[in-house]
Amino acid sequence: MIKFYRFIKTRDIIMKGIFLGCAVFAIIALLTICVFLFARGMPFIIKTGIFSFLTSADWNVSDPANASYGILSMIVASLYVTALSVAFGVVIGLFTAICLYKFCNKKAVAVIKQLINLLAGIPSVVYGLFGMIIIIPFLRDYISPTGMGYGILAASIVLSIMILPTIVCISLDSLNAVPKTYYEGALALGATKEQAVFRTMLPAAKSGIFAGVVLAIGRAIGETMAVIMVIGGSPEMPGSLFQSVRTMTANIAMGALEQTGETLDALIATGIVLFVFVMIINICFSLLKNKKEKRNGKRRI
Amino acid sequence: MKKVLIIILIALMGLVVFTGCDKSASFDSSKNIAVVVREDGSGTKSAFMELIGRKGKADPTGVIIQTGTAGILAEIKSNKYAIAYESLGYVTNDVKKLKIDGVECTVANIKAGTYAIARPLNIVYQQTIIDGNAAAQAFMTYLASSDAQTIIAAEGYVTMYDSATAYARPSQAAALTGTISISGSTSLQPLMEILAEEFNAIHTSVNITVAGGGSGTGYNNANNGVSTLGMISEEFNSTKAANCLCTIVAKDGIAIIVNKANTVESLTLAQLKNIYDNEEAEATKLKLWSQIIG
Repeated sequence: MIKFYRFIKTRDIIMKGIFLGCAVFAIIALLTICVFLFARGMPFIIKTGIFSFLTSADWNVSDPANASYGILSMIVASLYVTALSVAFGVVIGLFTAICLYKFCNKKAVAVIKQLINLLAGIPSVVYGLFGMIIIIPFLRDYISPTGMGYGILAASIVLSIMILPTIVCISLDSLNAVPKTYYEGALALGATKEQAVFRTMLPAAKSGIFAGVVLAIGRAIGETMAVIMVIGGSPEMPGSLFQSVRTMTANIAMGALEQTGETLDALIATGIVLFVFVMIINICFSLLKNKKEKRNGKRRI
Repeated sequence: MKKVLIIILIALMGLVVFTGCDKSASFDSSKNIAVVVREDGSGTKSAFMELIGRKGKADPTGVIIQTGTAGILAEIKSNKYAIAYESLGYVTNDVKKLKIDGVECTVANIKAGTYAIARPLNIVYQQTIIDGNAAAQAFMTYLASSDAQTIIAAEGYVTMYDSATAYARPSQAAALTGTISISGSTSLQPLMEILAEEFNAIHTSVNITVAGGGSGTGYNNANNGVSTLGMISEEFNSTKAANCLCTIVAKDGIAIIVNKANTVESLTLAQLKNIYDNEEAEATKLKLWSQIIG
């Protein structure tokens, strides 16, 4: 009996260890990535000077002996593309969610939701192809004043489609999570259906929708393949929607297979900047969310 | 009201979809020249920039960067206003090659040396070193053989030995021994590495190393006897390596390509330099196709 008990105990300890190992694995992976990024990139940033690396818009690595590494133009391009795509995505996605929430045939909702989820499963390189073959020629031939299709607008359009599922699904879920009584209460007080949804349900679901937007921002700023195919890639300061520019992700991916030595370190340093950006977004988001929860008291979601 | 809106939306979507299939080939010369370049680190790019005298300089503003030969060709095929450079061996028939200073980019013109954006890929060596190295002699014979010419052509370079004969394979693969060290031009290095590997497959006991360093290194190492063979990607200049002789391996020609719908047929070398120059003054910079046609 005691023997059996001991067996169970050792089995428990072993299983505990395995589960702990699995949990720690993710943390180890994160730490390894951090260590690799900072160990390779930091010496480069310190050598170049963090100030000149971040505030110079001059990037020319064609002559390794006489190269200049400044990623300001890429930071600005990344921010422009992200902001514009999130703006498009939020407007379209939010209205889609509202439509699916109350203003749509219930049978159609299930189908449309499935279709939007399907959108999330399309590989980003396919989005890139779509942009390259449909969006770029369209912009070039009909919209662009200079005959240049590549640029911030093309990338933003492609990205806004990519982030739609994130925004629609999370917004819809958070709308659905708002207690039905809110809606009924609004109707009982004489509000129309539209007023009840826009004035009562939407504000009540705000924090959840916000979470969706932040996730979308994270996806947009980190997206690489689809962006590379439609952004043009010239490392210069964005001055127009139809101008070949380069985002930070594009900079890393374009050079990573070709470059060696110091230039590769510069690309890893770009990775650090991107990493820090994503961290800042996450921290801002948690701060905002905590503040909101404290003010409103913990209600839902 | 709703239905009208839906119809308009569907029509718009249709329009967007069908623009992808637009085959109308009218060329509007008032549009900007869309300058397409290869990514940094590309061998074709550094060769081209060197040939137009812009070695190590940045691209002009507003260029479209395409990674890889396929990307360049796809862009030129779809974009009526684009211009790009590509190694002649990779250029397909569905794009148009521009004449440079009136000379067409063909294998014959590159061989004759009349086409401007081409350069020889040479090896330099000291005759006394080669005489004492049987493996190196065999390798040089191999470079001029039809076996090597097939590889050179397949890699997109222009071959220089048309009536070459097949390389005589030894009855015993391990019979020939020796060491061949090659260094120099990074433009020739990738091709030389492939050739060296093939040669190694024939003579398994020959130890052959290929390193880069640039044409200057190629001259110096061959002249000082550090390397058996030096690679240079320019016309041989005997003042840089007085002890050396030179043999051509292949020629590297770069074609300037545009869309088939483009009405431009020829560029001058000056115009080409202008288009790819990032330091050209704003006033004289060629920006529109009409500035080239008119």
